[in-house]
Amino acid sequence: MEKKRVDDGVTPRLDRFGFAKQEHNSPERLVRSKSAVEHQREERRLRKWRKMIGVGGSDWKHYVRRKPHVVKRRIRKGIPDCLRGLVWQLISGSRDLLLMNPGVYEQLVIYETSASELDIIRDISRTFPSHVFYQQRHGPGQRSLYNVLKAYSVYDREVGYVQGMGFVAGLLLLYMSEEDAFWLLVALLKGAVHAPMEGLYLEGLPLVQQYMFQFDHLMREYLPKIGEHFTEEMINPSMYASQWFITVFSYSFPFHLALRIWDVFLYEGVKIVFKVGLALLKYCHDDLVKLPFEKLIHYLRNFPDDAMNPDKLLPMAYSFKVSKQLEELKQEYEKINGKVAKSQVRQKQPQSAA
Amino acid sequence: MGAYRAEDDYDYLFKVVLIGDSGVGKSNLLSRFTRNEFSLESKSTIGVEFATRSIRVDDKVVKAQIWDTAGQERYRAITSAYYRGAVGALLVYDVTRHVTFENVERWLKELRDHTDSNIVIMLVGNKADLRHLRAVQTEDATSFAEKEHTYFMETSALESLNVESAFTEVLTQIYQIVSRKALESGDDAAAVPKGQTINVDDVSAVKKGGCCSS
Repeated sequence: MEKKRVDDGVTPRLDRFGFAKQEHNSPERLVRSKSAVEHQREERRLRKWRKMIGVGGSDWKHYVRRKPHVVKRRIRKGIPDCLRGLVWQLISGSRDLLLMNPGVYEQLVIYETSASELDIIRDISRTFPSHVFYQQRHGPGQRSLYNVLKAYSVYDREVGYVQGMGFVAGLLLLYMSEEDAFWLLVALLKGAVHAPMEGLYLEGLPLVQQYMFQFDHLMREYLPKIGEHFTEEMINPSMYASQWFITVFSYSFPFHLALRIWDVFLYEGVKIVFKVGLALLKYCHDDLVKLPFEKLIHYLRNFPDDAMNPDKLLPMAYSFKVSKQLEELKQEYEKINGKVAKSQVRQKQPQSAA
Repeated sequence: MGAYRAEDDYDYLFKVVLIGDSGVGKSNLLSRFTRNEFSLESKSTIGVEFATRSIRVDDKVVKAQIWDTAGQERYRAITSAYYRGAVGALLVYDVTRHVTFENVERWLKELRDHTDSNIVIMLVGNKADLRHLRAVQTEDATSFAEKEHTYFMETSALESLNVESAFTEVLTQIYQIVSRKALESGDDAAAVPKGQTINVDDVSAVKKGGCCSS
């Protein structure tokens, strides 16, 4: 296990996404070689998608307005990999931001300085270290990643740079240019189409805390046996699910699965993260209700390979309906949290050390 | 959130936290100690990670439940919850980056704000293999540790230098405090049901034991 691949001097074997092949969770086992029929089906699918998008995305908005459900259904089946980068920009609203802000990205990268520069540099080589694009020290991958993160930390100095953003930016950069990736990051965090996600990274990580609260309650409602068992074993969502939200599954999940989740995430919003989380637990229900604390912690970070199959996991995820509860839980959280925050302020006043 | 019970056999279960600035090598110290692995290409830790290892102290099996936390300041909002119930801490800095040593004081305060006063703290200067890049002198760290009443060791997770000793020392010290307290108070810590956190005069630890020894 030690020094794997570091000094063997041989070019590592890569999977179809450019990651060094791993012992486990490799997508190759899930993706059999395709038959002629499957190839034809894929070709048809691609033609449909091209028609839907139009040249450079010119027909997209029109199509979405006319047939939103067709779009939703097709996206849930997975965006064709060769169109992914473009479609992501269209559905996230980032393409509009880009067009409205010519020259801004360049300005941020070249002329501004950021207080986070050293923090970013330190994490660059620790972001997707097994991907060929990011492996070369100061290579094009690392430089783009640095530029996007630095630009964002200048663009929004209150957020700055927070660990985890690198995985999001790193994933985007595999499908689009620096400037496009930057604006997609802006679209997500500032909420171009869906609710803004900057709270995942702001001081106090308020949105992480809210999502953990919501996820915990949803899990207890839909999977009460797991909820009960987790209470007994003192497992709470921050021990396993905070990464799911902070990096939208890009930190430790197999890439082919992360991409499929991202397709839906960008079109439907963060609720897919809740749904996939619930589906994962449901899929592994029988194991999870049996395991003791330490084995649970391990399991929840290393789901079995068959649970990582998007064609099994995602349909299960879609079957959870969470919108209404998420809204209710959010209000409940805000109510409780408002009170807690106030009572803490009162308690802390006499000491005022910090 | 105290220490937790586990299936395998042990006499004591101690919760230990790994803290310190981002990039000082906490995760590699943990993987070196628990799995004897080191990776130059590890990902930055998002949130918290966890691993365990049991060692023998005297004739007892002491199990360490070690929480590895994200180092970036912003993450303290969610990682400080994991300090609670910890009876030991490795406060790590990077001997090649002086700023990580300067921040030790803040980490220490953070730790003392959230844990029992009897917590065993080991100051750890990691990356000691990078001799030509050293920016923190051993004497400075030694005198800081003396002043703050913490233990101190320099380690290299890469070269496997002192990693074992650092963890073992912390666990042994905790063990001695717990067994001394138990002796003084005249009762056996084993009287506590398995899996519950007990407080032996400020030091919380778990002793796995029968329910009938009172």
